[in-house]
Amino acid sequence: MAMKKFINDPNNLTAELLDGMCTAFADKLTLVNEKLVCRANPKDESKVAIVTLGGSGHEPALQAFVGEGLIDISVVGDIFAAPGPPQVIEALRMMNREAGVLFVVLNHAGDVMSANMAMEMVEAEGLNVRMILTHEDIAPGADAPAEDKRGLVGCIPLYKVAGAAAEAGKSLDEVYAIAERFNDNMATLAVAMKTATHPQNGAEIAQIADDEMEIGMGQHGEAGTGPCKIMTADETAKVMVERLIPAIGAASGDKVLLVVNGSGATTHMEMFIVYRAARKILTDAGIEVACSMVGEYLTVQEMGGFQMFLAKMDDELIDLFNAPCDSPYWTVR
Amino acid sequence: MARTMGPADTLRMIQGGLDEIRANHEELSRLDAATGDGDHGSAMLRAVDAAQKAMQDKAGAPAGEVFQAMAWGMMGSTGGAPGPLFGSFFMGMGAAVGDDDLDCAAVATMFEAGLAKLRKQTKAQPGEKTMIDALVPAVEAVRAAAEADADIDAALARAAAAAAHGAESTKDMLARHGKARNLGERTLGHVDAGATSVACMFKGFSQALAN
Repeated sequence: MAMKKFINDPNNLTAELLDGMCTAFADKLTLVNEKLVCRANPKDESKVAIVTLGGSGHEPALQAFVGEGLIDISVVGDIFAAPGPPQVIEALRMMNREAGVLFVVLNHAGDVMSANMAMEMVEAEGLNVRMILTHEDIAPGADAPAEDKRGLVGCIPLYKVAGAAAEAGKSLDEVYAIAERFNDNMATLAVAMKTATHPQNGAEIAQIADDEMEIGMGQHGEAGTGPCKIMTADETAKVMVERLIPAIGAASGDKVLLVVNGSGATTHMEMFIVYRAARKILTDAGIEVACSMVGEYLTVQEMGGFQMFLAKMDDELIDLFNAPCDSPYWTVR
Repeated sequence: MARTMGPADTLRMIQGGLDEIRANHEELSRLDAATGDGDHGSAMLRAVDAAQKAMQDKAGAPAGEVFQAMAWGMMGSTGGAPGPLFGSFFMGMGAAVGDDDLDCAAVATMFEAGLAKLRKQTKAQPGEKTMIDALVPAVEAVRAAAEADADIDAALARAAAAAAHGAESTKDMLARHGKARNLGERTLGHVDAGATSVACMFKGFSQALAN
């Protein structure tokens, strides 16, 4: 079947989408050297900078979260593919400052390799950069080794708390400690029920039978815990949230951030129905949903499904989550 | 031929590898579609195009510098892991070649340096269904040929055969790295596209020296 997408040359997707995004939000974003999405109004040199990297095809993530109180530079690769070390090094050099740089990397093989190669070089140059790796996917088991756990939507609220801490003038050590505390207390589980096509070659990125869904499927169609028959929103939310709660060790009296992140083809109607079910289970367990996000943040083209995310929050993290920010797809005033 | 080769022949050998990847990129993507995004061939094509451009820009420079420029170009090419991986292989080779004439032992040393640099970037071990499964036997074949006092073109012919055999052997392996890792047993029966790229490249190296 022919690919049904509004595109032009499949080899020019990233360039065209970045041009569109950065001109649509020209007051907030500036595109530098084709691959670096930077803040139009750069952060003061005295503050810690936040740099991240990742493939395109997941819009609005990651680059639409560049802005005040969030990311300073997002280094963009091609569709579902990491940018190369030279572009990452360029971004880290651009942000080089006495206050230092927090470099946020999602655990995907290509991203980690480019990040490690770039870190090796900038450390040799004496740049003050600390790298943090997100790996909150619990599909392989909450206790699986970190290297087996992918970085999913959790990077977005992590940019938020780290970005707010940086904006508040905290030191690199403090910003790193806050980001790492959030990182250590978060978990995501994904579910997919309709596959998506790779926009460059038109191939389906996963196989899912018409009457089935798969919990744990990653954001490039990576296999999860195996297919099962389609369940209702309440049943699906129950299975997922009951795995997420123990993964972050949440108990009665704790406060959490609950995120329902649509994968691209799942409607906001469905997301709110799922959110309601998950929230009820948490509330019944005495866990307070102190912060919420429902919407499309990190998508997988037209994949049907969502990622459910839970993080344990303390008062400082809640304040940072609620602090002002100003990016194309997340603004708090 | 060829007890030794000069920088021009070394780069002609590399050119053969780039050409062979370019001629087979669609097949490489097709192989990758079974266990990955199906974009390996297009990523390799961009990497070799970047290497080609660097080679032209650096025409006349010492071979080691040409290698470094090719490596940097490959690393910065879009398309994910293949560029940085093959780029680091070229970077390691470049640090070993300088601008000298190479005998077969020096060619083996050059490939070993490339492999060592590459293995700093990946934890992949032989038997884990990656490019390592083709590259390690290819590099070992060059060294073995050098120790047996073979000519360079004969050494590369053996390396190409070893790489092809290594790539084929990935069919029976379980993927433990990259996006295919999460597919587990579903990867059995499919050859690894990265290993096939290595086999392609060594086939091109060998053909260029045979001509």
